[in-house]
Amino acid sequence: MSQAVRVITLNMDGRDISARGDQTILQVARENNMYIPTLCHITGLSRVGSCRLCLVEIKGINKLLPACVTRVEEGMEVKLSSERLDKYRRSILELLFSERNHVCAVCVSNGHCELQNLAQKLNMTHVHFDYRYPRLPVDGSHERFVLDHNRCILCTRCVRVCDEIEGAHTWDMLGRGVNAQVITDLNQPWGDSETCTGCGKCINVCPTGALVEKGKSVREMTKQRQFLPYLTLMRERRW
Amino acid sequence: MSKQTLVINPVTRIEGHGKITIHLDEQGKVADARFHVTQIRGFEKLCEGRPFYEMPSLMARICGICPVSHLIASAKACDAILATRIPTTAVKLRTILNLAQLVQSHALSFFHLSSPDFLLGMDSDPAKRNIFGLAEAHPQMARDGVRLRQIGQQIIEKMAGKRIHPAWVVAGGVNEPLPVATRDQILAVLPEALQIATKALDWFKTILDQFREEIRTFANFPTYFLGLVSPTGELEHYNGFFRVVDSRGNIVADKLDVLNYQDIIGEACEPDSYLKSPYYKPRGYPEGIYRVGPLARLNIADRCGTPRADQEWAEFRELDRGAVLSSFYYHYARLIEIIYGIERMEQLLQAPDILSKHVRAFAGTNNPEGIGVTEAPRGTLIHHYKVDDNGLMVWANLIIATGHNNLALNRGVLQVAKHFVNGEKLSEGMLNRVEAVVRAFDPCLSCSTHALGHMALQVTLLSPDGEVLDELKR
Amino acid sequence: MSKARVATLWLDGCSGCHMSLLDMDERLLELAGKIDVVFSPLVDQKEFPENVDVALVEGAVSSDEDLEKIRKVRARSRLLVSLGDCAVTANIPSMRNPFTVKDVLDRAYVENVSLNPGAPKTDVPTLLAKARPIHEFVNVDVYVPGCPPSADTIYSVLTDLLEGKCPDLSSKTRFGA
Repeated sequence: MSQAVRVITLNMDGRDISARGDQTILQVARENNMYIPTLCHITGLSRVGSCRLCLVEIKGINKLLPACVTRVEEGMEVKLSSERLDKYRRSILELLFSERNHVCAVCVSNGHCELQNLAQKLNMTHVHFDYRYPRLPVDGSHERFVLDHNRCILCTRCVRVCDEIEGAHTWDMLGRGVNAQVITDLNQPWGDSETCTGCGKCINVCPTGALVEKGKSVREMTKQRQFLPYLTLMRERRW
Repeated sequence: MSKQTLVINPVTRIEGHGKITIHLDEQGKVADARFHVTQIRGFEKLCEGRPFYEMPSLMARICGICPVSHLIASAKACDAILATRIPTTAVKLRTILNLAQLVQSHALSFFHLSSPDFLLGMDSDPAKRNIFGLAEAHPQMARDGVRLRQIGQQIIEKMAGKRIHPAWVVAGGVNEPLPVATRDQILAVLPEALQIATKALDWFKTILDQFREEIRTFANFPTYFLGLVSPTGELEHYNGFFRVVDSRGNIVADKLDVLNYQDIIGEACEPDSYLKSPYYKPRGYPEGIYRVGPLARLNIADRCGTPRADQEWAEFRELDRGAVLSSFYYHYARLIEIIYGIERMEQLLQAPDILSKHVRAFAGTNNPEGIGVTEAPRGTLIHHYKVDDNGLMVWANLIIATGHNNLALNRGVLQVAKHFVNGEKLSEGMLNRVEAVVRAFDPCLSCSTHALGHMALQVTLLSPDGEVLDELKR
Repeated sequence: MSKARVATLWLDGCSGCHMSLLDMDERLLELAGKIDVVFSPLVDQKEFPENVDVALVEGAVSSDEDLEKIRKVRARSRLLVSLGDCAVTANIPSMRNPFTVKDVLDRAYVENVSLNPGAPKTDVPTLLAKARPIHEFVNVDVYVPGCPPSADTIYSVLTDLLEGKCPDLSSKTRFGA
């Protein structure tokens, strides 16, 4: 962050924009109030580019690239939305909805869920893929928190916040593909975890009703996210 | 003549769907009639693995007409798991919500579903015998019905946020206190509701004479009656104890703790219906046939506890010596309960503590089991849950209001069939009456049939080798 | 100008969407002047008729009888509307899917019974292995999410369709509304 960074210009959706050479397309878009949908990304945590919702079209490149991890370059021409991108983004959401059991009507995060908001914003009317209906457990062993695998979209925000901000690294991933799941410690019940500090950061960064506070009934789980950028800032200044 | 079977299929608008079969003997007389419920969703299993405090909003989805009843019975079971006694204001608020639903649901049953029969006649043109036909022929009655139901629904919406499947009732109480503006808005519409209800009851009493044959034959036989009463023996829908009376009006069981419901209520499976048959255990099956709902509640209570309802109730009890037996009088009882509901809501809303901010108790999983019992519009509703140490559901048993009436409904269909069905010829009047007796019970096998007018019926007369002898469609 | 022929039907649902339709209150009576309700829990008609213009269907497809019905409705209707979350996503009925049908029936008819245990065998439809949304079986033209969708939403869908417009619902309702 300290050495001199060049200023470059690029074109986004027909607008000429100047940006710093070390910024990502997503950062530049947000600075200029241009919308790109995201799910696995959250300001303050490292970027993984896994959900692929932020895919954008770049002139001269026939692959679609994720805006959250792609650096801007001089003279880039980026399209942030198009019919093709809209279709792919909806398909991604539909795949997420069909993979596990997202029953919005009786979910504690109903009305406060990033997945639900995105579905509405991107005009997803229904899921074209056959629902899988896997049998997935709820881990209620922790005194204050609950993990509901049925609502998890494997965004890994919980893994990252616990590792990067709290420093406990309680969460990690097990398995691959459709059998992947988040786990605590060495795949033990959360209540038995020896590393968890009970700070609640994972609850607050989780975009859906997967990680929630115990006792919150349907529609009651609202998340508080204001803390994250401050914590990131504090960490960066410390070192 | 050889034995034959009539099949009425579908009896539409019973949650999912229902079917009636009528068996004729060699003389062409009705030997048996059965009522089959043809849907099951599996709530007792699908809730497994979910945290118990999600149950109220989940169980609300059992029914779109009476979600509030399930919200409340479920929340009471959850309160028991929390092992807390919820704040008094929360009890009152839940009670008011319950009564608003009572008003709305009974209004639907009486005006939208049954009044076309009463106003246009049981034998009138099927195409017109519904809310739209009613609106043409008797616009004021249709408007009154829509308005009364609307008032009930709007009270629910104002208090709980949504008319259908609101999320306000939770384990431990309710999640928002009542704002003073809302209280005042509700108090302002109650007089209009009372006026519509009393007008309807006064009118209904004048036409009872025209339905003497129906009164005589609509599930009119001795049964027990079961429901909740308050500790002082009054009509009660939220808390209270079980009371059971016999057909002569004598109390056979009283002051029973609802937690011991399994001592008095057993459930039997039927081989040909998804609806189980509860029965009064001390008398066994099927002698322990009993009824619940408005008729039963007015039979078991010593009084209603609000002025106009008490007057009407006293007059109502004079219809029979002992308990009032004809299921036709469910309609009458419903109107009295609407009046009671409105008067009682007014009493509760005028208490100063109704505005208190203390409306929710918080606790953890303190009991592995919880039972919640309440009176839904159609009768006693029981939610019984078991959870593991982490508060996740492992088992549930639900006894739904209409379910208690299954034996009586079956017997009622048989009684009407015996009275009207004869020999080989099927008549329209028979179909109407068979539907109408089911309608009198106002079954909500999760979604009442009776949206309006008729159920669609097809009656087929089959010979023993399956040859179609006669067919009637509506 | 002839009235539009409108039908409503419920499959494996709770009737909440139909109650929400009734929540249109006096607007329903108004609409009745412009439409012919040719089949519904609300009017009497035994057989689902031909030439239906708009069919509003609530509930998931959960039994063999539901499947038979929805195929008939699709064949006889110009526009099929999936009304409510159960029809659009299978919602609560689908919560039984991770369990086997046998387990679901055993819980209701064997474990929780004091007499004559056993699921019914005659005169009732058979449950499908899983409860699924309507569009997994037939083509659907309009999707109206919500649990239930509000009366205002249903009113705007009906008025849009009657005017020949395609309803745009993303600002009006969503899953779990």
